[in-house]
Amino acid sequence: MNEMKRPVDPPYLYPEYRSTLLRSPREPLVELPPGALDIPGPLVPRAFAADKDNDLTLAGKSAPLGEKMILVGRLLDADARPIRDALVEIWQANASGRYHHPGDNHDAPLDPNFHGIGRTFTDGEGRYRFITVKPGSYPWQNHKFAWRPQHIHFSLLGNAPAQRLVTQMYFPGDPLLDIDPVYNSVPDEAARKRMICKLALAAGIEMVALGYEFDIVLAGAKSTPLGI
Amino acid sequence: MALRTPSQTIGPFFHEALRWPDGGKVAFAEAGGKVVLSGRIFDGAGNPVGDAMVETWQRSPSGSTPAPAGGSRNPHGFGRVETAKDGTFVIETSMPGGDTPSIGVAIFARGLLKALRTRVYLAAEENVRADPAAAPLAASPRLRTLIATRTGDGVYRWDVRLQGEGETIFFAP
Repeated sequence: MNEMKRPVDPPYLYPEYRSTLLRSPREPLVELPPGALDIPGPLVPRAFAADKDNDLTLAGKSAPLGEKMILVGRLLDADARPIRDALVEIWQANASGRYHHPGDNHDAPLDPNFHGIGRTFTDGEGRYRFITVKPGSYPWQNHKFAWRPQHIHFSLLGNAPAQRLVTQMYFPGDPLLDIDPVYNSVPDEAARKRMICKLALAAGIEMVALGYEFDIVLAGAKSTPLGI
Repeated sequence: MALRTPSQTIGPFFHEALRWPDGGKVAFAEAGGKVVLSGRIFDGAGNPVGDAMVETWQRSPSGSTPAPAGGSRNPHGFGRVETAKDGTFVIETSMPGGDTPSIGVAIFARGLLKALRTRVYLAAEENVRADPAAAPLAASPRLRTLIATRTGDGVYRWDVRLQGEGETIFFAP
C-alpha cells in the first residue's frame, strides 16, 4: 500500500509553495523519548461553542450569497474510534472567494451576511455538522495564474498534543486541485484524496442545501488518555 | 484501523476563527508561581513571522496532568496566541511542576504545511542536559535554543528561529 511507502503529511520544504522557502527548518527533526509533556488534553469548556456556532449562514440579517451546503462528518482516531466532545473549528472564504479578514485584499466582494467562521463539538459518536455556503476560489501570488481550489480550513485538537491537526478540506472534481501546491504537497495520492469531501445528498436539505461528508482521522496519541 | 488525514497549512486568515478569549492566559485548577513567557519568531532571512499561531501545553504547578477545565473559561494548561506583526507572542501561565520545568510549543503559520513542535525549558542549562526526556540532546550545542532566558522574577524570554543560524530544535511528532 502506498500509505506505507510515503509519509501522510507534507514536508516542511516544498519549493512549489513559495512561503515554505524561508519558514522550513533545515536541521533534522529530533526524536524524543516519552516525557513530561506527553499529556492528554486539552479538554475545552463547552462554552467555547454555542449551539448556533455551527451555522455560518446566521452571521448577518439575511442569508449569505452562494450555494448553501450542509457539511457532516466524523472525527476518528487511528483505530477508527470516534473522538467525542472534541472542538472542531472551521474558517473559509465567502462564495466570491473573499475572506472576512483585514489581510485579504482580493478584489472580490465581502458579504455582510457571511463571516466564514464556525465551531462545534463532536457528539457521542464523533459526528459534527456545519451549515454554510460553498467557498469560492481565489487568486494568490504564489505563481502565475495561481488560484486556490475551493476549500474549508479545519482545526482539530484531539485527545493529546500528538493528535493536533490543522488541515484543509477540498471538493470533488475541482480542476484547480491539479495546480495547487498546498494540496499537492502531500506526496501520496491516496492521502491527498482523503482531504476531498464526498457529495452526500442525503445529508443535505431537500430544495435548500447540498450535503457533503468529510471524515477526519487523527494520529494515534503517544500517551493513553489518562497515562502519566 | 483508519488512515490519517494529512496536515495542511493554517494559511494567513485564521485569526478571528481561532482566537480564544484570553487564550494567552493559561488557567490551572491550582495556584502556582506566575510566569510570563514572551519571544519573537523569525524566518530564515531574520524577518519576523507576524502571522503565526502559537499553542502551549504543560504540566500543572504541582507537576500533574492539568485537570479538566471545570468552571474555567479556557482549557486548563493550554494556551493559544497569535504573533503580532513584529513576530512577538506572549503567554501568561504558571510555573510547571517538576525538576526541569518545560512547556510544549506548537507553531502554525502560512508556509508551514504542518505544525512545528518544540519545547521551552524554564530551567538552568545543566539541569536540562540532565533531563532524561532530553537525552538525545544532552551533548548538543543546539540545546540552548530550547532554554528561555530569565529576565526578571517569573519573566522569561525565548525567541524561535525557524531556519538558518541558531535554528531552534524541532521535534518529530
